[in-house]
Amino acid sequence: MLVHSKGARRAVWTLFLVLFLPVFALPLLVIVAASFASSWSGALPSGPTLAHYRDITQGDSLRALVTSLVTAVAASLLALAAGTWAALAAQRLRPRARKVLDALFMLPVAVPSVVVGLSLLVAFSQPPLLLNGTPQIVVIAHTVLVTAFAHQSVTAALARLDPAYEQSAAGLGARPAYVLWRVKLPLLLPSLTAAAGLCFALSMGELSATMMIYPPDWLPLPVRVFATTDRGALFAGAALAVVLMAATLLVLLAVSRIRTKASYR
Amino acid sequence: MSRPGTPAPPRPTRERYRGERRKVSSALWALPPLLALGLVFLYPLVLVVRQSFTQDEGGPLSTAPYAQVFAEASFTDAFGNTVLIALGATAGCLLLGFALALVIAFVPFPGSRAIGRFIDVFLAFPSFLITLALLFVYGTAGLANGLWADATGAAGGPFDFLRTPWGVLLAEITYFTPFVMRPLLAAFSQVETGQLEAAASLGARPARIVRKVIWPEALPSLAAGGALVLVLTLNEFGIVLFTGAKDVVTLPVLIYTKAILDGDYTGACVVAVVNIALSLALYALYRAVAARAGGARTPSTGGDGHRARA
Amino acid sequence: MSAATTTAGTAAGGRAPAAPSGIRFDNVSVAYGENVVLDSFDLTVEPGEVMALLGPSGSGKTTALRAVAGFVRPCAGRVLIGGRDVTGLPPHRRGIGMVVQQYALFPHLRVEDNVAFGLKARRGRTASRAETAARVAEALEMTGMAAYARRHPRELSGGQQQRVAIARALAIRPGVLLLDEPLSALDTRLRSGMLAELARLHRDLPDVSVLYVTHDQVEALTLADRIAVMDRARLRDCGTPQDLYRRPRTEFTASFVGNANLLPVTAGPDGTADFAGTRLTVTPAEGAAPGASATLCVRPHLVGLGDGPNTLHGRVTEVQWRGATHRVYADVAGHRVMADLRELRTTPEHGSDITLHFAAEDAVLLPAGAGSTDDE
Repeated sequence: MLVHSKGARRAVWTLFLVLFLPVFALPLLVIVAASFASSWSGALPSGPTLAHYRDITQGDSLRALVTSLVTAVAASLLALAAGTWAALAAQRLRPRARKVLDALFMLPVAVPSVVVGLSLLVAFSQPPLLLNGTPQIVVIAHTVLVTAFAHQSVTAALARLDPAYEQSAAGLGARPAYVLWRVKLPLLLPSLTAAAGLCFALSMGELSATMMIYPPDWLPLPVRVFATTDRGALFAGAALAVVLMAATLLVLLAVSRIRTKASYR
Repeated sequence: MSRPGTPAPPRPTRERYRGERRKVSSALWALPPLLALGLVFLYPLVLVVRQSFTQDEGGPLSTAPYAQVFAEASFTDAFGNTVLIALGATAGCLLLGFALALVIAFVPFPGSRAIGRFIDVFLAFPSFLITLALLFVYGTAGLANGLWADATGAAGGPFDFLRTPWGVLLAEITYFTPFVMRPLLAAFSQVETGQLEAAASLGARPARIVRKVIWPEALPSLAAGGALVLVLTLNEFGIVLFTGAKDVVTLPVLIYTKAILDGDYTGACVVAVVNIALSLALYALYRAVAARAGGARTPSTGGDGHRARA
Repeated sequence: MSAATTTAGTAAGGRAPAAPSGIRFDNVSVAYGENVVLDSFDLTVEPGEVMALLGPSGSGKTTALRAVAGFVRPCAGRVLIGGRDVTGLPPHRRGIGMVVQQYALFPHLRVEDNVAFGLKARRGRTASRAETAARVAEALEMTGMAAYARRHPRELSGGQQQRVAIARALAIRPGVLLLDEPLSALDTRLRSGMLAELARLHRDLPDVSVLYVTHDQVEALTLADRIAVMDRARLRDCGTPQDLYRRPRTEFTASFVGNANLLPVTAGPDGTADFAGTRLTVTPAEGAAPGASATLCVRPHLVGLGDGPNTLHGRVTEVQWRGATHRVYADVAGHRVMADLRELRTTPEHGSDITLHFAAEDAVLLPAGAGSTDDE
């Protein structure tokens, strides 16, 4: 403990809360409050209503939610498969080749998401691969953007994995494929589910690349939030944002439950 | 399957596993993910670069598009805005993140662990939510101006900065500070309480302990976190888009405007190449700094680290 | 050994459980870049023999074991298991059983599934489902872990995990069992119990060759049929425990296996040696020609108080009481001599004169510099 006197500690905590609450907690609370309101002209929102949520249960907003969920699930599964494969393959390479592979897979983090969207637009608006205007291009964009995170967390988990497990299994006569399936992947499961959760959350909130490429019939929730607030319907937008946060949180919670079950230590 | 007692057939030499063959097969395993990445990421990037040098469809390569874009006032404005906002937001995140992480790690209070988890959740949300929230806090119809109106009886409040660069700056600091706090908290967890107690027992004041014991430990993570935030703020799109201000245009927004609203793909690609160059340079810096920060920590965590799992 | 032996031998992964198989290192060297960690290593472990690889850390003993397991590739030489050249084979085709320091039990599998792992991994080639269950039961019975079959490794104590690790290695009925410091993670009391347990297991499985890596001389002396002493990437000495203890051939062996007084002497004729002007009667060594300088090795507990056949006069520099014995350090003509004496009624005083003796058959003459720690 750094500060020992009681008074000083209180002062530090007060300062902390004064900084922390308005900056981090307030924004989320404000969105939730606004989603139940129809106007905000005083200190507090007024005109309590559930109308915004009622609107979400039907029509375009509901379709946007489903679109986002489908996209996020598809993108995170693809990213998890690609990222895990690349991480496992990189482990068998020589150090220099491994560095190159890791750097290539981390590259999408450094490239602006908007540019990722633009590049897909440029590449797939022309033959041989004409994907512009299809849902697939949205899924591809999200996959490209989140694979780096899957790759990174699986690589880190592999580095932490004690090689003695793999060697013991091989010593007992298990072929590399059997070791991978029965030893390595089960031991990596907690990290894999964590990576899947992260990918899902990132994909759910992806806006930059999506704005560049979404087709009219595949409009994810963040775009819908933007479109709604852009035409001035701030409170309806807040309700959509709450739904977005809730869906993300629910999936993260479910994933962390799987993870506790899957961790054996 | 050989029945017991039957002498096994001689092992063909091709079944022997040799180092060379193993290396080749390892490289083969790395190929499919590489090909996939190449198809959906590297190849499109190459096309963007090519397009940025193409004045007319099918025409020869030229640097004319660059000259054209660089001459536009909107580009120079966007470039300046991007760099200034990124630098400002990074500085703000570092200051705020260091202060908050310091309290969480070294002046713990009931619920400080919950705050750590809250930060993790915070990182899972998209950035534009912050701008949306700030609209309700500082917007023309919102908390702060509403409070002012209630208190003074005036028709409106004095807060009207959301559509200026300051609004973007505030939103970015809010959103990206946790990116600084996370590595810092990890680094602080490595500082032994015994070290702090020893320093305190020797009569060191908190300010001195922070400077002499905690600061050196925090520096690598602070540098790595700062570099990451710099890259992320350079590339941030959602926050700026949601602000909806006509005069706050950054490079990513300019790319969006040119490509989607104006249909000027070549111009968009030129801006994109500039943006990529800027952020790749910074990202390389981040990797170098992060590797050094990681390397500095390895001796204490490596080695017997495996033991804990057994 | 002709090239034909490289392809003879048993089928992939299959081992004939009854056929005893030894291990042979044929001039094996292992290097990481410039760093040679195992240098021209030659050793034969007979079928059914327990061979301890004894040495300090960094002596190459674990590398030698990993070369048998297939986790390191020799840059020269061959490794043979049961007469079959396995140098180029991946670990899973070698048919070995192995227990590592931290056991590496698979945390996601129950004890019985851990033990069954090796059998299931080769199913189709060896064991049927029923046979697997029978062999798992047998291995758990043998190690006294039958009652814990349904537990997860994290629910077991260190000693129990150790037994499961051994059961897992034995379930595949390997001809060769590799033990890499298997007791180092246990506390002292548990260790001596497990040592007895390992000795019993080997009596039950007399055909299994065991390569036992340890830095603990007690483990090696207790368990091994023969001990290979290693130091700095090389084999320094090899022999039965008694042999190495009573007749060490190198200074390194003498000091690493048990305690030893190592005195610089000049070899004389007819089993004599000259130590600082005193003529001593000793057990002669090969290669110590009269007039050559040599080292005399005497175990401290074989040194007695008072006059005798070989008498040394010195001055007491330190006395340590160790319960049953007194360890007396004496300065004899500038050299330190240790004597472990049965508890003395009167403790010798510092600086007082002392007379010590030892028998000729307890004094072993070593050629000077033979395998000493600074001969290279």
